[in-house]
Amino acid sequence: MRRRDLLKIGGLAALGAAATACGGGSGSGSDVRLQFMYWGSTFEKKAVESMLEQYEQKNPGVSVKPLYTPDEYDVKLNTLVASNRLPDVGYVPLAMSFRLGEQGKLVNLFPYLKEYPQLAGYLPDAYLWSGQDNLHGVATANEIELLWFSRSAVAQAGVTPPAEAGSAWTWDQLVENAYKLTVDQNGRRPDESGFDPKQVKQFGVSSSITYGAAWYGFLRSNGVDFADETGERCLLDTPEAIEVFQNLQDLVYEHRVAPGPGQLAATGNDVPGTNILLKTKRVAMVVDGHWSLLDMNESKVDYGIGVLPKYAEPFTATQVAGASAVFAGSEHEQEAVELFAFHNDPRYVDLFEQGLWMPQEKKYYEDQAAIDSWTKNDLHPPEFRTAVVDYAREHGVPVFGNRVKNMTTIASDVLTPALQEIETGKRPAGEILKAAAPKITSMLQGWQHTQEL
Amino acid sequence: MRRLETRWGILMALPAILGFLIFTIGPMAASAFFSLTDWQIGASPSYIGLDNYAAMVGDELFWKSLSTTTYYTLGAVPLVLIVSFAVAMLLNQKVRGLSIWRTIFYLPTLVPAIANVVLWIWIFNPDFGLLNSLLRQGGLPGSQWIYAESTAVPSLIIMSTWGFGNTMVIFLAGLQGVPRHLYEAVSIDGGGAWRRFWHVTLPMMTPTIFYNLVVGVVGTFQVFNQAYVMTEGGPNHATLFYVYYLFRKAFTESEMGYASALAWTLFMIIMVVTFLLFRNARRWVYYEMAGAR
Repeated sequence: MRRRDLLKIGGLAALGAAATACGGGSGSGSDVRLQFMYWGSTFEKKAVESMLEQYEQKNPGVSVKPLYTPDEYDVKLNTLVASNRLPDVGYVPLAMSFRLGEQGKLVNLFPYLKEYPQLAGYLPDAYLWSGQDNLHGVATANEIELLWFSRSAVAQAGVTPPAEAGSAWTWDQLVENAYKLTVDQNGRRPDESGFDPKQVKQFGVSSSITYGAAWYGFLRSNGVDFADETGERCLLDTPEAIEVFQNLQDLVYEHRVAPGPGQLAATGNDVPGTNILLKTKRVAMVVDGHWSLLDMNESKVDYGIGVLPKYAEPFTATQVAGASAVFAGSEHEQEAVELFAFHNDPRYVDLFEQGLWMPQEKKYYEDQAAIDSWTKNDLHPPEFRTAVVDYAREHGVPVFGNRVKNMTTIASDVLTPALQEIETGKRPAGEILKAAAPKITSMLQGWQHTQEL
Repeated sequence: MRRLETRWGILMALPAILGFLIFTIGPMAASAFFSLTDWQIGASPSYIGLDNYAAMVGDELFWKSLSTTTYYTLGAVPLVLIVSFAVAMLLNQKVRGLSIWRTIFYLPTLVPAIANVVLWIWIFNPDFGLLNSLLRQGGLPGSQWIYAESTAVPSLIIMSTWGFGNTMVIFLAGLQGVPRHLYEAVSIDGGGAWRRFWHVTLPMMTPTIFYNLVVGVVGTFQVFNQAYVMTEGGPNHATLFYVYYLFRKAFTESEMGYASALAWTLFMIIMVVTFLLFRNARRWVYYEMAGAR
């Protein structure tokens, strides 16, 4: 009896082995193994893994190995490039994607647009070109900068951040309201005597000085850009730009309503996520990307979404995301492109309903049914329509980091250090920017190529 | 028989020899070659002669990183030497619970580098860090520590003393090797503790001090972790250490050729500094057995 069972099992195993061996050799429907490399929070990891599982279910015979790489993504991807062991599909840091595109390390998706019409209907700013007709990738999702706030904190102070671009705060209104929201350990506000800036319990607002996407909307709203139309002269030393950065510096040192460097760091050097800052009410309002929505919902924060303050016309940075691309040299390019078209298609992927991503296809901002398909659910608050969908469509400007050539070196050698200096508050923004802008100008090589489809 | 032994000997040493050839000499040779090329990761290297080295002369950040690293070395090496020497002297006394004291002072060395760095980020936190809390209790103003340009490197120098355990152990071993009869001779001549230190301990310890100095300089010139984990070279390049700059050029900006040239330049600099230290050593390092050589 037992022996016969054993034999049976043995026979089955042998059959199985034979079947796999056969399968490996045949053409279509065979074992295709792809690798998908990505970064993100632990919540994003879960969501991406389930997207990949869905893809496997819809495409029998194809298996996708997720390569979750939360830290030092550029370093690790660079190492894979150098050792010629690229994954098939994945995220690519945006600035780096242009270099890899020019080097031919990314598949040109231009010829595939006819085959995958959903890829052809994207917002124009989503496409990434490294030369005429060389579409090396797309921004993974559309992400924009928003003003997140803690509902209970603003209610307590009697403040209501506007959720429509039409009623966006002016900068002065932002400052005024931030005063109401800043409290030290003894319950004093910054405009009350005895306020202790070293013992702040709740900061009114936090808006990063070193992170370009956070201030790019302000810059554009004040009528100036990072560089001129030729992309060869840096405009950060113009009075308009200086005003924006001086205002940001003043939030910390003049008004004392925003945290300075190191003040939000917990155990590591990393500032905790916006969800944690709002949940613990360490900060009442935070300028951060739309992607925070997933973490807000997952950690059950009592949050609200507002639009950014404005100078003249309200603007926010869009396409604040990494790139997605298909890596060249894949054994299964066709399947890899298939996975690429799938990985951010709202019809299959729940990352849009979950709140991590905003779609790249135009119709999801214009067509009511399409808008509802990703926003009509418990994870998207009522103000989402005006504060995010309409705001992105009407007041979005693609963030400069994706558009300026040589940005990686400019950022690490000149821009970030200068912004850090503004952040430390030792010298006024104007002095610092007037020194930095000519250096940046000398490194500028123009805007990246763009073209109509 | 002898040849057999030789053969076995080489065979047994082979893992180490191969490891050295493959993982040390190989990459070194490769980087020496790449330092003569323009190589962006992803493209193929093209030979450009000494252009990378020439470019360094005009590279503001190369000089900045070199001076920052030198500043750090000049601060950290003497401080670690003095602190570890002083503690080694204390631990060389006959007191109760000596082994416990020695363990306590050595313990921080066993904390993994990154854990250590994370711990210090908290110690340096301007709001609720250990240092500012202590200063505030003493009624003193706090500091921005690693978050301000002027205090970032001094903060890291203070932090460097944390890991003095290894240097201390070497000093301790050296102290125990100082011949007892020399101390007795000083005592007989009526010399006190200061004379025993100045005329016996210090001269007899110079070889150990020299050893620790060289090892310390070579090590601190390659300081990296703090810049990588704590400050990312900031604020405003204040902690842009040489090796961190090299790493950034290599892996963030993908300029492998230039980064290789930076690596070789550092290698040369360390070699020259070590050579100068050795030449200078003749003047102040006292080898008791020198006459016997």
